[in-house]
Amino acid sequence: MIEELKNTFERFNKKISQKDNIASTRLNNFNEFVKLGFPGKRLEDWKFSNFYKIISEKFNNISVNPEEKSTFKFDNYVNEFKHNKIVFLNGYYNKHSFEYENDEKIVFDNLKNGPAHRPNGNNSLNLLNNAFFTDGLLLNVKDGYHFKKPLVIYNVFNTKENNNFFNQKLIVNVEENSKLNLITNTINLNTVPIFLNTSNFFYIEKYGLLKLFHMNELNNDDLNYNLNETSVLENGVFENFIFSCNSAFFKNDIFCTLKESYSSGFINGAIFGKNYEEHEIKTFIKHLGQNTKSYQKIKSVLDGNSKTIFQGKIYVDSNAQKTNGYQLNKALILDQKSEFDSKPELEIYADNVKCSHGSASGSLDENVIFYLMSRGLNRFDAKKLLIKAFLQDSIETITSEEIKKYFLNKLEILLNEYR
Amino acid sequence: MLKIDNLSAKIENKEILNGLNLHIKTGEIHAIMGPNGSGKSTLANILSGKKGYEISGTVTYDNKNLFNLEIEERAHRGLFLAFQYPLEIPGVNTSSFLKTSLNAIRRSNGQKELDALEFLKIVKSKAAELKIDEKILNRQLNVGFSGGEKKKNEILQMSLFEPKMVILDETDSGLDIDALKIVANGVNALRNNDRSFLIITHYQRLLDYIKPDFVHVLMEGKIAKTGCSELALELEKAGYEKI
Repeated sequence: MIEELKNTFERFNKKISQKDNIASTRLNNFNEFVKLGFPGKRLEDWKFSNFYKIISEKFNNISVNPEEKSTFKFDNYVNEFKHNKIVFLNGYYNKHSFEYENDEKIVFDNLKNGPAHRPNGNNSLNLLNNAFFTDGLLLNVKDGYHFKKPLVIYNVFNTKENNNFFNQKLIVNVEENSKLNLITNTINLNTVPIFLNTSNFFYIEKYGLLKLFHMNELNNDDLNYNLNETSVLENGVFENFIFSCNSAFFKNDIFCTLKESYSSGFINGAIFGKNYEEHEIKTFIKHLGQNTKSYQKIKSVLDGNSKTIFQGKIYVDSNAQKTNGYQLNKALILDQKSEFDSKPELEIYADNVKCSHGSASGSLDENVIFYLMSRGLNRFDAKKLLIKAFLQDSIETITSEEIKKYFLNKLEILLNEYR
Repeated sequence: MLKIDNLSAKIENKEILNGLNLHIKTGEIHAIMGPNGSGKSTLANILSGKKGYEISGTVTYDNKNLFNLEIEERAHRGLFLAFQYPLEIPGVNTSSFLKTSLNAIRRSNGQKELDALEFLKIVKSKAAELKIDEKILNRQLNVGFSGGEKKKNEILQMSLFEPKMVILDETDSGLDIDALKIVANGVNALRNNDRSFLIITHYQRLLDYIKPDFVHVLMEGKIAKTGCSELALELEKAGYEKI
């Protein structure tokens, strides 16, 4: 697959270098990637999943077609709440509307001319993203501006076999005292499987607040690797919620650095794995400033030979006194063949900190099922009620009511489709 | 309404019920008393369909073989068990659970399902009738409820579902006198010629408030003695040893 990818890259870089001037950067990143190859179990960060095996099984080849024009229409917007929107079709910017906002406070660029930031690759998929990225978004929220309504980024795909590999970047700066609720929604309208490789960077300045949510509406054969790097300055707040569902492979690799005092990071997630899917949430929270706080609650339901992985690390620097870190990871396993892997880690170099973590897994309690059935629910409805209650617990961490409701609806839809 | 003939039950080869016979006619209230380990809760569990027992004998409920009915079908056909230890179910809102249950029962009986407003109206009026604080409706099901609140919640469910056959499994255990009255009032309010009750209890106390038609003593897995409500008073004085 890598040999084919070399040819793909050569063609791609020749075409795209006419448009942007970072051909050599792309080439360097690609060469680095070739040295490392696709990640697999030999790497500590990937110890529970063999990505190379998954991608080889799902794809004969992965290819990028920068020429492809996206002509399909998309207007199936979230109807639970009013919002601003940005639409990407097949990896390219299509349109946007900031109808509820003051445009002067927002810097918006679609990165077609190359990224303003060129983060160094720290893993091979990120290198691949640097080599192949076609489009993305640079967003600055300026001057203490508070977004009036949430912003939804629709990342929509409807593609053919010869164009199934998408690399995008999202760079968001929430400047001092500014606030933004951002929802990324990834949707595949077609049955052609895609491999989506996204790298996102968030910078939250003093007293800034970013609430970031992710909803996946991909298909059962789609792969998505999502890298999120966030840094938070003094008194800044980062709240992240991920609903991980509907994909063959979905890994969220989350790095959150609490750089300055009184900054905080909340990373919560609900995972619903079924039909041989593999979901992973990997977090690395670095407490560098004093009085920083982090909180994580990840809940997974596993059925139908699925696999769920949680790797969570809290690192507390020797300067980060009075850190408060909490991590909880729970799984509800519904069948014999699903697999749940959990690796919680604390690495603490300061002596005055409060950190705790917990990880637990179990199956449905038959006594509870009996109680619910004795009240007229059939076994399946009783089971669904318990799955809902279990995942709802992490959705309840969302601090924005309308967005919480949106995710509760999504859970309801998922449960209605669940057989 | 309920005919139990020669019912025996084993769990992990341990015999718990041993040829139990009991007939409950429509509109009757029967009380079963008995020492610890005599099989009272096992009887309640088997009647409501709990798995894990090796069973022989026959039970006919409403002219149907009870053992051919799934747990939820028994509920749909009006069998209700008030649990001795109602389970705590985190994340499940009491009110929405009650609505889901009631609608499942209504649906199975060809009745129209209630919408949220209709349901709330009914459940609130039932709670008020029973003097149960409606705040429990907004809490997670039985989570952090006191013993009394859990039992009251069972009685609220009973009154909401309007079952034909009610089994109360030691619903009076651990209740203070006020809660006991709520339970008794709940039962008495539902008492009519079409509805039967099987009240399992350790103590005669509950029977001061609910006058049963028959009292049975369950010992070593079968009915050892049957009498009218005075039997309960005798047992209270003399204990089970003299039976």
